[in-house]
Amino acid sequence: MKRRTFLMTGSAGILLAAMPLHRVLAQGKKYRFGFSQVTTVEPWRVQFNKDMKREADLHPEVELLIADGQDKTEKQVADVENFIRQGVDVLLISPKESAGLTGVTLKAIEAGIPTIILDRNVNTDKYTQFIGGDNVVIGRAVGEYAVKALGGPGQAKGNVVEIWGGFGTQASHDRSDGFHAMIDKEKGIKVINEKVDCDWKQNKAYDLMTTLLKANEQIDLVYGHNDPMAYGAYLAAKDAGREKDIKFLGVDAIPNEGVQWVNKGQLTATFLYATPGAEGIRQGLKIVKGEKVEKTITLPTMTIDKTNAPQVLKDNGLG
Amino acid sequence: MVSSRPADALSAFLLRTKLYWSLLVLLAVGVLTSPVSSKGINIFLSTGNLSDVLRQVSNNGIVAVGMTLVILTGGIDLSVGSIMALGSVLCAMLLTEDGWTSATFLSLPIFAILCGLFVAWGTQRVLRLRHGSFHNIGGRAVPAALVGAAVAAGAFWWATTQVPGKFGVVGVLLVVPAAGLAFGWLNGLIITKGRLQPFIVTLAMMVGVLGIARVVAGQDAAVHPVYTGTNATEDFDVLRALLYRIVPVPGLFFLAIVALSALLLRTTLFGRYVFAIGGNEQAARLSGVAVDRVKIAVYAISGSLASLAGVLYTAQYRQGKPDAGVGMELDAIAAVVIGGTSLMGGKGSIAGTFVGVLIFGFLSNILQLNNIDSNTQLVLKGVIILAAVLLQEGSLNDVRSGFRRIFGSRAARHENVPAAGTPPTGIAGSTSAIEARPGDSSERKEVPLQATQGSV
Repeated sequence: MKRRTFLMTGSAGILLAAMPLHRVLAQGKKYRFGFSQVTTVEPWRVQFNKDMKREADLHPEVELLIADGQDKTEKQVADVENFIRQGVDVLLISPKESAGLTGVTLKAIEAGIPTIILDRNVNTDKYTQFIGGDNVVIGRAVGEYAVKALGGPGQAKGNVVEIWGGFGTQASHDRSDGFHAMIDKEKGIKVINEKVDCDWKQNKAYDLMTTLLKANEQIDLVYGHNDPMAYGAYLAAKDAGREKDIKFLGVDAIPNEGVQWVNKGQLTATFLYATPGAEGIRQGLKIVKGEKVEKTITLPTMTIDKTNAPQVLKDNGLG
Repeated sequence: MVSSRPADALSAFLLRTKLYWSLLVLLAVGVLTSPVSSKGINIFLSTGNLSDVLRQVSNNGIVAVGMTLVILTGGIDLSVGSIMALGSVLCAMLLTEDGWTSATFLSLPIFAILCGLFVAWGTQRVLRLRHGSFHNIGGRAVPAALVGAAVAAGAFWWATTQVPGKFGVVGVLLVVPAAGLAFGWLNGLIITKGRLQPFIVTLAMMVGVLGIARVVAGQDAAVHPVYTGTNATEDFDVLRALLYRIVPVPGLFFLAIVALSALLLRTTLFGRYVFAIGGNEQAARLSGVAVDRVKIAVYAISGSLASLAGVLYTAQYRQGKPDAGVGMELDAIAAVVIGGTSLMGGKGSIAGTFVGVLIFGFLSNILQLNNIDSNTQLVLKGVIILAAVLLQEGSLNDVRSGFRRIFGSRAARHENVPAAGTPPTGIAGSTSAIEARPGDSSERKEVPLQATQGSV
């Protein structure tokens, strides 16, 4: 037993001791950026990470460490605490929830690490910088488009289904508020479903839409807070044979996903929610070089429908 | 005895403490592979990192302690995740909302009834003054019940004074675990009186309580943020504090609960009954142990610890939400099993669970400090958990000889196949009051097997 244990633990030790090798290889890098991502299960976040890695490659003095929180607040908090212990030069966080990540953001600031919050905000403003799209503006753009699609201002009418993203995120509340700011003015537009948390996931939207299709004869427009959810609703409608009667609006506009769906005529329109990662790296570099940065950077949005989808795809090298 | 005494004693010692060796090996690996900070300090061993890890494991640890008690009786509790989520929702709502909300409607009556019952039970024991068994109460029931009712009224009155305003720390720490205790008690009741499998009952409870948590939380806000100082009392922050900049308060809770439960299991009659029921329930029942009451108590304890974990979750992450505890039951069970507690019941210890929880925590910490890709982390965790459990059970040799027989050397095929049972795992185990001591007679039988296995 003693020999066996020794052999086993010895080999395990050697294996694990090989791990720091990658740190030796990264010796040439001057700055360590720690990025805590929520999850890589959503396509938007996959794009997010891709954009970030591409930007980091453009700056050879930056070593980018990405931690995946596997969609759990506890894991993400532990990841950030870990980065604080490792003493990274800049900390970037894309929080799962505003309240849950607030404590650890404050910890990072107290430890003297510049912290950039990406995409979703936290319940404190002591961070160094926030970069994200303005979801209220996006919601408004969606609302405007919906009103136009349903008959124009003053004459719009139709039954609308709104599919919510995670209730714990500010993004879904903002996208809904902006949307309602535009459509509540129209007496003919009715939102026919209760708020259900579909957590940005395609399969949950599919299930919700299937139920709604059975319960409602007339549905004119579906607004999903992100493209996967809108697409899930489209698939549900297709399975019920009613996809031609319904317009589908989503948000994100990732080139090989949302824009493709618009191009194929499955989604009616999508609205760009740019990934803040690349900008985050650029701003982070400014910070470590000692420059002053703005407190908030808002990324602009763009409406993409059949008219400009092909061009957007070409610009991104996708046919 | 074939081998000499000192080697024998050393092997026995190693066998008894092998639980701790896994942890020590892990710590050693952590120290060796840890990055070094710019000042030359080993980051893994830094007080900051260690206190982080202690805080990170505390919630899971508290739930795992309750789970140990349940598993020791041969049962299982899958509802702890949902009870923890309900606890966090109740805590958040009690802290941030005035008046009678769905949270107060749910928790206050439970709290009052439990206070009353507890006091009634205490008074009855005092009046009896002897005998530690849960038998018939007899004629002293009436005064006990009266006192109980009086205290229930008192507790209810005090709690209602809290209601118009928001609850404070003490109020929340009393009321929320009481609610968890009630749900755990319900679990135990259905399992014992309904004579159902614990797996199914707690599974149903897991789903049901998740629904209750969502209903209580309401449609408009699935997440209830707690802003101490603005919409909640400042005092609540004490549950998130870092004492002397090193010891996290949740860690204190965890250590205290570990100590108390270990004492409960080792020194009290209740603890002996728990092991007895796990070892052989029929024998325990026939020997006069009040099996049903002990089991109900064990599930109740598990439920109350789970909702206490919910309160600490709310303090740490400043929010209460119904989805907080998803998957927590599996983490707790994994920690308990790594710690050497048998899923069949009757064998195990709180010390084992404590080590199991720490192994989990340090494993995650080491992998993250080395910035291993998260997906690879999951794979590695699975492999290492398997390895740890195989080591604990001592069946590593069975696996090896199994492999040898399949890919076969002649020697392996002729090797003595060890008996199905593993050598007695003496990990801080206690014997039940009912089982015969596995002392001399079985030891004499075991020795020849041990010699052919060629191992300790």
